[in-house]
Amino acid sequence: MDRRTFVKVGCIGSASVLVQGLDPMLRAEGVAPALPAIDLHGLPDYKPSSLGMPGLFPGRVIEARDRNAIARNRVSQPLVRRMLERAMKELTGETSARDAWAKFIATTDVVGIKINPSGAPACCSSPEIIREIIASVQSLGVPARNIVVYDRYSYEIDIASYQALLPPGVRIVGIQDAFSGGGTGYEPTVYCDANFFGEWETRSHMAGVVAHEVTKIINVPTMKDHSAAGITGALKNLAYGTFNNVARTHRAPHSFTNPMIGLMCSVEPLRSKAVLHIMDGMRQVWHGGPLTQVQDFIDQTGMLLVATDPVAMDTIELEAIEKKRHERGVPSLWQHDPESITPDSRIFFHDASKNLFFRQPGHVAAAGKLGLGVSELKQIDHRLLSS
Amino acid sequence: MMTSEKTSTTSAAEWPTLLGDNARRGGQAQVRFQSPANAAWQYRAASPVRSAPVFHGGLLYVASVNGMLHAIDVATGTSKWKFKAAGPVHSTPSLFENAILFGCDDGQVYAIDQNSGESLWEAASQGEVWSSPVVRNGSVFFGSADGSVYAVDGRHGQSKWSQQLGGRIYSTIYAEEHQLYVGCGDGKIYSLEAASGKILWSQATGNGIDSSPAVSDNLVLIGSEDFFVYGLDAINGEVRWKYETGLGIASSPAVSGDFAVIGSKDGFLYAFEVRTGNLRWKTAVGEVVTAPPVIGDGVVCIQAGGTFALDVSSGKIVWRAGLGGALQSVPVLAAGSIYVASLNGEVYALR
Repeated sequence: MDRRTFVKVGCIGSASVLVQGLDPMLRAEGVAPALPAIDLHGLPDYKPSSLGMPGLFPGRVIEARDRNAIARNRVSQPLVRRMLERAMKELTGETSARDAWAKFIATTDVVGIKINPSGAPACCSSPEIIREIIASVQSLGVPARNIVVYDRYSYEIDIASYQALLPPGVRIVGIQDAFSGGGTGYEPTVYCDANFFGEWETRSHMAGVVAHEVTKIINVPTMKDHSAAGITGALKNLAYGTFNNVARTHRAPHSFTNPMIGLMCSVEPLRSKAVLHIMDGMRQVWHGGPLTQVQDFIDQTGMLLVATDPVAMDTIELEAIEKKRHERGVPSLWQHDPESITPDSRIFFHDASKNLFFRQPGHVAAAGKLGLGVSELKQIDHRLLSS
Repeated sequence: MMTSEKTSTTSAAEWPTLLGDNARRGGQAQVRFQSPANAAWQYRAASPVRSAPVFHGGLLYVASVNGMLHAIDVATGTSKWKFKAAGPVHSTPSLFENAILFGCDDGQVYAIDQNSGESLWEAASQGEVWSSPVVRNGSVFFGSADGSVYAVDGRHGQSKWSQQLGGRIYSTIYAEEHQLYVGCGDGKIYSLEAASGKILWSQATGNGIDSSPAVSDNLVLIGSEDFFVYGLDAINGEVRWKYETGLGIASSPAVSGDFAVIGSKDGFLYAFEVRTGNLRWKTAVGEVVTAPPVIGDGVVCIQAGGTFALDVSSGKIVWRAGLGGALQSVPVLAAGSIYVASLNGEVYALR
């Protein structure tokens, strides 16, 4: 077997797929240990949806900007409402926001909203945006009890106070706490199996709430660099917040976030259920992500990205973070200079020229090769909406 | 007879409710609170502890997120009894007569016999109850994620009234003789009539409220996710002062005489003059502070990434311990010990 991938572009649903290698492009980043075999098991007999990634509008990304949408680190909900309405109409071509939302959500759906609370309180999915998404979903007739705001760690949700800030009746679910194995919230039959570094637990399981409860997912990532993955955007928020036991894919300075992020997103039913991605770019973290609390590395940009294609969205995000780092005179996310690696997280968190891992921003393009979306910048229909 | 209704001081051997008593003083001037020399014992709750312990009669009551209420004999650090609720528990227990009260994610408030660990009664709401039940004049008051404030009889749990507010309620009620005060997820602070639940006034802030109020010098003190600490007129809710911190506030104020202390998610602990809102000091104690502080004899104590004690006059850190990392837990200062419950499920007795 050579090192080429034989992951088939398409859904990974009822069948188990064994990945025995990678596209050479995926391995071009650093001298990582050899990629092991990766065994993917989707939900048996699940029928893929046409709304699934890359969704109704492959390659289209709507960027709404309003500098006043965030002021002194506070997000304006009225301005977010306006930006989101305009972006949804632009994305879908509909003249009313309600009709735009109705392209993705039906009254009978159980709607999961995948937030990103890691990095709270400095940078997480803004409750103001989540409230607007909830209001939009409710406007379609979906009852509050059929809306599930979820992420992996309950304590991170707690730090951000989502439980107090979201409307009554909406379910807020932390799949596990940080101090247990988290087995009870996960589906035993849906998993990704690989042994990257000799870890004792080689499987990452899909959250039960995703496998069985929700029928649609609205993904609300933040805009951050990521010490291992390069960036954390739509793809990583979806994959590493839905599957457990994912930290094992990186052991400093190496990381297998490429290709694991894309592979996890391709597993059914996650792929089919994730119908819309709304990236919170009110704040942009250009170093120290995903957990930094250092405000010097967080710019308040007042941006929202809306897409059905997570690869195109993350490609735009990658460009934005890369540009920001260039402006600040710090190394590219693509740089793989061993001199820039530090094992000391205290240094990493305060020195933007240092990193803990050889970053893997190529995970975005790799996800494109899996059919999850468009990663070629010139092919992306990137539309700007200014205030 | 044990009760959490006392509004002034509690004896050093009692700690019946959040921050010591209903005045939220946290045992101020009750307990010498010096740097602990060692851990007398360590108890494993086998699940994260999000809430604060309470203490009475030689037993420390600790509720863990997996729904277990632990009664721990502080002489030995061993379990006297356990009670398993039907859902996760994030609520700080409180004590009333022979009962221990706490809220549960199944929407119930449970009353458990302090001696036997048997259930006495349950009171229902339609959402999770993360707030701590508060007792005043024989009534138990609590807020629920369903957006309502409930009053039930403390002996039997029978409903007296409920009042729907505009958002989720995770704020623990402050109960005075005739008025209740509570923060709400809709961003408002409400005052309710204790006898009927009638809304007397409300005051809007710039974002939802996770913080719990305290009342001192006729001012309602509370933090908001809009980054501000507020001092409101307790009679009519008018803003007397507000102070801007660096991020949202989930912590709650502890009051001692003419000043109050509260944490912010910006990682600082702030001490204010109650009457004016003037800053007395602020000190960085971690990356994020979400728990309420507690005021001992000469020190302010806070659980953040670990446990910190600060000089009450200057805010200077006088000691720190690398245990007791917490989101909402508060140290209990009682019977010559400091009891600390942590998010990783460990409970320590420090002496």
